[in-house]
Amino acid sequence: MVVMTQTMEARHLAERVALGALFVGFLKVSLLGFGGGLVWARRIVVERQRWMDDQEFAETLTLCQFMPGPNIVGITTCVGSKLRGAVGAVAAVGGFILIPWAVGLSLGGLYLHYAHLAVLQNILSGLSAAAAGLMIATGIRLLMPHRSRRTALLFTALAFTGMAFVKLPLLVVLLGLAPLSIAVAGIASARAS
Amino acid sequence: MKSPSASVVLAAHLVLLSSISFGGFPSVLPDVHNFVMANGWVTDREFADFFAISQVVPGPNMILMMSFIGLKVGGIPGAIASALATFGPPCLMYYTAYRLWDRFRDRPWQQIVRRGLAPLTIGLVIAGGYVMARAGDVGWQSALITAAAVGLMVGTRLNPLWILMTGGVLGGLGFL
Repeated sequence: MVVMTQTMEARHLAERVALGALFVGFLKVSLLGFGGGLVWARRIVVERQRWMDDQEFAETLTLCQFMPGPNIVGITTCVGSKLRGAVGAVAAVGGFILIPWAVGLSLGGLYLHYAHLAVLQNILSGLSAAAAGLMIATGIRLLMPHRSRRTALLFTALAFTGMAFVKLPLLVVLLGLAPLSIAVAGIASARAS
Repeated sequence: MKSPSASVVLAAHLVLLSSISFGGFPSVLPDVHNFVMANGWVTDREFADFFAISQVVPGPNMILMMSFIGLKVGGIPGAIASALATFGPPCLMYYTAYRLWDRFRDRPWQQIVRRGLAPLTIGLVIAGGYVMARAGDVGWQSALITAAAVGLMVGTRLNPLWILMTGGVLGGLGFL
């Protein structure tokens, strides 16, 4: 009986969420989310549309962080896939990317056309300096939960140095450090338990 | 420089990078930077500008930034190829992984792998910011703006958009 109710609910959900709604929902996430798209993804997916509850959203985010690629595109893919399968994923990702990409690329094309203007150059220099700072700060924020693990700080420093100063290819940094870092995490976890 | 073969080389490299971009695309920025510099496709100045524009335009920032590089290298087809190379492979992986997710949700090895990968991811994100700061560097003033942005973002709950705008206004007023 419970199983039957669940499948009925699932079917009900699948019927209710139109592909257009997925497209528009993630178009909004994309357009509203200057820099911090995650805030808007949660607001629309969990609070407005109730496509997922908070726990499921958090689990999905973890999965996406565990995977390569832009996390926010991952959440978009997963929500679309959950509600309408492969077609839903395409609709959600399409909404997220298509229109904002075309608008952004046109603006960028305009910039390339007027790139010689000194004022524009100065504005972009300021923007770029601030944006670089925001990215460094995001890294620092992500590091905060790990600050008590000395080995984690060490591996953060090693990855930073390898990339920023030694200028190694990403693949070399990842393949070189990941096995060591995972092994150390495994030993630490075995000791703790 | 508008060459189809350069677009293909760029797209192929982006496919590789997006497939290993743990922690999001900012973590592969230093590699993209080294790659396009080595090929002489984009100058430091342009790279920093693409970054700046993609940060103030709403939407998929990193996909846009890679498209600007593609646009420079191979025109509109180059831009489209770069966009697809940036989000295509991760999307397929997300889709597949989401289907398998339940199977290894509670396994202890998954937690260990996550704890091992997290510090590397974070180091790469910080390196991305550092490389961007160096690419756009025009003296102590831009270093100051970067440092102030780091401080405000870490220390306050200010909307990042204000920090970006302040940087742009300071630049426009000739502070840099």
